[in-house]
Amino acid sequence: MTRDTPRELLEKGLITQDQFTKIDVITSGKVVSVFYELRSLLYLGVLLFTAGVGILIYQNIGELGHILSIIALVLLNMGCFFYVFKNAPPYSNTSVKPPTPYFDYIVLLGALLFISVLGYLQFQFAILDENLGLITLVTSFFFFYIAYRFDHLAILSLAITALASFWSISISPQKWYSGDFFETANLHNTAIIFSIVVACISLLLDKKAIKKHFTFTYLNFSALIFFVGAITGMFIGEWWFVYLLLIYGGCAFAFYMAKWKKSFLFLLYAFISAYIGTTYFLAETVLRDAIEIWFLYSIASCGGFIYFIIKFKNYFSQKS
Amino acid sequence: MKSAYNETGLYNLAVVKEAKRWSNQDLIEETQLATIRETYTSPFYHPNFIIRVLLFVATLLALSGVSGFLGLMISNMGEDVFPFACLLYGLVSFIFLEKIFIGNNHHFKSGVTEGMLYHACGFTIVGLVWMADFDTHFVLLTCFVVFSFTAFRYLDLLTTIAAILSFAGILFYTCYDAGGIFQQIIPFVFIIAFGVLYAVVKKMKARKAFQFWSLNLLILEGLSLLFIYVAGNYLVVRELSVELMDLYLEEGQDIPFAFIFYGLTVIIPAAYLYFGIKNKDIVLLRVSLIVIAFSVFTFKYYFSLGHPEITLTLAGAILLGITLLLFNYLKTIRHGFTRENHLAEKWGNLNLQAFIVSQTLGGNQAVASEQVETGGGGTFGGGGSTDSF
Repeated sequence: MTRDTPRELLEKGLITQDQFTKIDVITSGKVVSVFYELRSLLYLGVLLFTAGVGILIYQNIGELGHILSIIALVLLNMGCFFYVFKNAPPYSNTSVKPPTPYFDYIVLLGALLFISVLGYLQFQFAILDENLGLITLVTSFFFFYIAYRFDHLAILSLAITALASFWSISISPQKWYSGDFFETANLHNTAIIFSIVVACISLLLDKKAIKKHFTFTYLNFSALIFFVGAITGMFIGEWWFVYLLLIYGGCAFAFYMAKWKKSFLFLLYAFISAYIGTTYFLAETVLRDAIEIWFLYSIASCGGFIYFIIKFKNYFSQKS
Repeated sequence: MKSAYNETGLYNLAVVKEAKRWSNQDLIEETQLATIRETYTSPFYHPNFIIRVLLFVATLLALSGVSGFLGLMISNMGEDVFPFACLLYGLVSFIFLEKIFIGNNHHFKSGVTEGMLYHACGFTIVGLVWMADFDTHFVLLTCFVVFSFTAFRYLDLLTTIAAILSFAGILFYTCYDAGGIFQQIIPFVFIIAFGVLYAVVKKMKARKAFQFWSLNLLILEGLSLLFIYVAGNYLVVRELSVELMDLYLEEGQDIPFAFIFYGLTVIIPAAYLYFGIKNKDIVLLRVSLIVIAFSVFTFKYYFSLGHPEITLTLAGAILLGITLLLFNYLKTIRHGFTRENHLAEKWGNLNLQAFIVSQTLGGNQAVASEQVETGGGGTFGGGGSTDSF
């Protein structure tokens, strides 16, 4: 690809003059898009602002400045919602194009601030004093509503993580780092059931053609939670064989999803989980001590896998 | 010298990739894309990104088996053999990669090639430096030569980064070991060296002969700009001086020529931004955004008012304000800039963005809760008030 490529395509008659004019403006750099730069700045702005506000509202409680800042926060929040409800296109079961390039960040800001205010109210006035977990559930449903109303994938992700946390399943970077997903015993079973239920619901919604483009996000979280849960179960309990079967079942499902959704991320999860599972299985049963056999095993299994992927390369291609 | 790949194939692949982006943005029709695909065929096996990751992981696992096996075979031959064995194994891996995967099976950045490549680099370098008893200079030099070679021959991007880092390492240690005045002028040596590199890369980018290395050159360009900035940044210079050159600073003392570095910390980002806008240079623009953030951090680090939450809130509010103003300002094309999305970037994928948001923004309330949490259900920050104070 060089600067002359569009002209070459034009001369070969592969693109029209009209298309060439449009493309050439972009590839020659006459007009430069700063879409991604501005969006990244917005993301950073929302990140910093909500993080700062999240701390700020719990400080100097009772002072006049504190009350004023809470009022300002509520006004800003109402401003966000006023803007998005006024400008939002009507609800649709399909993907909706946002009215402006920054619309979804206003929605995000509004939703996050709302949760901050809700948290503050709970802290000050204990609206839901008996059941602290309930507020997580309320948060989750609020996020789900916003996600569906404004067709917002990022908030859908937040909704799913909040719902998972209601069941004490934590999906956050700190947890990825420490590998500490499940705080209490038998939570891996909850995780497995949770992920299966979420996957089923999302498939049902997909079948009814409600927000089909959300299905990937649901399935992605389900797959992650499921595999982590099943692998944890395999490592800690006496019932490892059951969990191994679960992993294989999950892999079969993920393999099918990869083909259906043309998203090979599921294939990656399936491969890694199946590999961990099978290796554990072999270590528990036949291959106990001999290190040479382990080397042969890794050569044969991975070599075979590479051969399989390359052999069926058309099957694993995004071209339909 | 040329790259290891067939040039017509590379060109055709690049055209098809670009045409795909046009088609994604509805600049051309699906049928036109299909015709372009048929006209510009390439023999390469170049799967999509996830499959590449998958193949990469599998290749490394398989190769670790091979290495372990060979290691067992030579394990009783004595220590003297190991360096030569490593080197030989590394070189054989290169030949294997070149002949079998690239030559016969037309792999192009397929995951398997990257796996083989890094594996080959690793063993070649370890073998060579082992022979020289891990002398720092020799290690850096070997890394630089091997990584530059692979970056050039296999158009690889990670080894491009590794090569430029080894180059910076060589520069640094040469000046550092020379001692005296040379230690003092390290920042200026860096600024000049990477300034020259930047100018050369800019020239090379315009030449058609280097078209297949355009991504490597892009990385060189960006990293050169970053190095120029980092070398002049006050925080970096001060901390490295204290850390490595046994500079002892009393309360109220400052590093030599502090005003120069304060100046550079402000001027370089401003210059990047100015020339980025003036020349419509997206690389300069992007680097300028990163270094502006780091400059702000530098000044906050030494002149902090002690209220991080107010800083965060204000910074966020200012950023949001400026960005929204810019979005409105660029509603129509001004000075050759537009807010509309021209061509989708690979990493601009919406699903990826959503995942990043869920992993970073949800935790914003956790900050408050972690400070005072006494236990209870605070498992996830997005819940906000699951914490019991």
